[in-house]
Amino acid sequence: MIAAHPVIQVTAFGLASGATFGLLALGLVLIYRTTGAMNFAHWAIGLLAVIAYLYLANEGVPVVLAMLLALMLSPIAGIAAYRYVFRKIPRSNHVVTILITIGVAQLFASLAAMVLGFKQFTRLPPWLPQGKVSFAGTELNTTDVVTIIVAVGIAAGFLAWFRFTRTGRALRAVAQNREAAMLAGIDDVRSATIAWGIGSALAALALLLVLPHVAGKQGGLITTFDVTPFGTLLIPAFGAALVGGLVNLPMALAGGFAFGLVRELLVLAPRPWSDMRSVAAAVLILVLLILRTERFFVTAQEREALEA
Amino acid sequence: MTQQAVEVMKPLELPAVVRRRLTGAELAGLAGLGAIALLPIPFGSFGFFVGQFALIYAILGLSVVVVTGYAGLVSLMTYSFAGIGAMVTGIAMASWGWPFWLALPLAAAATIPVSVIVGVTSVRLKGLYLAIATLTFADALGETFFKWDRATGGLSGWVVSRPHPFRSDASYYVLLLVVAMGLVWMVTGLRSSRVGRAMLAVRTNEREAQALGINVYKTKLTAFLISGALGGIGGSFLALLLKQVTRSAFQSPLVEATSILLVTVVVIGGIDRPLGAFLGAVALVVQQQVFQGARFFFAYFGIYSAALLVLFLLYRPGGLMQVVRLQWRLIQTRPRVGIISTALIIGLNVGLAWLFVRLS
Repeated sequence: MIAAHPVIQVTAFGLASGATFGLLALGLVLIYRTTGAMNFAHWAIGLLAVIAYLYLANEGVPVVLAMLLALMLSPIAGIAAYRYVFRKIPRSNHVVTILITIGVAQLFASLAAMVLGFKQFTRLPPWLPQGKVSFAGTELNTTDVVTIIVAVGIAAGFLAWFRFTRTGRALRAVAQNREAAMLAGIDDVRSATIAWGIGSALAALALLLVLPHVAGKQGGLITTFDVTPFGTLLIPAFGAALVGGLVNLPMALAGGFAFGLVRELLVLAPRPWSDMRSVAAAVLILVLLILRTERFFVTAQEREALEA
Repeated sequence: MTQQAVEVMKPLELPAVVRRRLTGAELAGLAGLGAIALLPIPFGSFGFFVGQFALIYAILGLSVVVVTGYAGLVSLMTYSFAGIGAMVTGIAMASWGWPFWLALPLAAAATIPVSVIVGVTSVRLKGLYLAIATLTFADALGETFFKWDRATGGLSGWVVSRPHPFRSDASYYVLLLVVAMGLVWMVTGLRSSRVGRAMLAVRTNEREAQALGINVYKTKLTAFLISGALGGIGGSFLALLLKQVTRSAFQSPLVEATSILLVTVVVIGGIDRPLGAFLGAVALVVQQQVFQGARFFFAYFGIYSAALLVLFLLYRPGGLMQVVRLQWRLIQTRPRVGIISTALIIGLNVGLAWLFVRLS
């Protein structure tokens, strides 16, 4: 499997999985900054979109169309969770907020498991073209390349939207100082709804990029491990978000790529180290936590607002 | 609603440590507990198995009560502590030939290194960051300790047998009942002790607690040490219940799922009440085990428990303990409404359970 240039191949693979982490982290940071809730249900919300995609594809809808439809439906779950659950919890109540996002994660993951019928694994049809492209004397999977391009494109578009449009500016204002933003006439609930909607769509996109293509030529798989509340990729996504101190969007994306590269490049390491991918991620996350990365990205006043 | 959600974190009136006679409410409660404890008898060995399982979850739930209920630190690695306890019991009994009564304290002590690391981390990390850290710890333990053949006995795990007078299901059930009730009593005592009050103060407001001269560092570390030891004890008894412990249950992402179930159990019971952990385990784990045979209903268990977690957090953050207290107050102030509504609640639940058993 490992060809003449394993490093390039593995790097491409790492960047592709990094793109997934980055997209997940973008959604996490967006929701955390605008609503103060760290969304432990992020993976589970994305999972519902994958289920919708599987259902549509099995109904005979062309796969690309099914994927776009699933992506459009995905914000429903997140917005419903916000409207009916998270909005009722005061921002200052951290313990309850964390516990309730975990409850929602479990709820959505169990729903997904029930729809899938509790099978060991379910096949997913791929929607990206399968094939090889040659690059620098080696062959890369088209799915990896497309994943990287799509993720970077979407992320760039999203960041530009966040920076330059009126709604994006409103969201940033809410993130910086909610009370002042509300006094300036920005609708707090509307901003939070938009943040939850876009965050859910980003989670859905991340999962739709990775899950239907995990098994290469055979398409994709959902295993029993994937239908657990935090899935298999949410912990590195937290790590990626921590690179940006849970508040900085571009750094979260960069963090995603860093985590993806570390995870995949470790495969090339000698034997005892190559099995340590999760441990490496865990150590990185702990270092980031101890460094308290958020102090590099926000002012003291903003930090008080987030933590209070 | 939001007001009630705040209630969990409201400064509590600290219990006065005065010896007094039991009130009528407490006597009624004790009678109720006695009735619950006798429940498995008509169902034979299956009843005892379910009862044993529920009691072990009650012990593990106490671990969540101390760390999350008292100290306000969200820990998502409770079941990892249980795994350490179970594996250490396995090594000591199956590999070294130790008797159970020596393996049990070793299992509790073996959690100390991990809880010290987490405890020290928890001093620097607040709320959300700590939740992520414990999640990461659980993940990392699953990749290292629970993949280490010499500690986990390889894929087949460790085979352990119960010590002499507790080999039968009924006697092991009685043993667990005594242990669980003893631990509930101890954790209740902890609440009104100096350390427990310090934990409640840290939970309510860390800075104010510090200003009052409470050592926040020591308090959080103690919370994690007690929580870890309780988890280790629970895991040790779990190993004896299952008679064979395998490592796959303690690896990511299954271990996180069980830790979430433990949090759910405790929230449903009443997050800062030791008796709540017991009630929650009885309410939830019994259903989980009973419907395990009925695939159709078991399919809904995940959704059901998650929905309960969300609904209780939104509307009854004090859990079943709060429901009991509210109903009791209603019975005292407006006896007719109180008794009828209590009878309706109990009747609805018993009826639903009966319907489930009939249909399955």
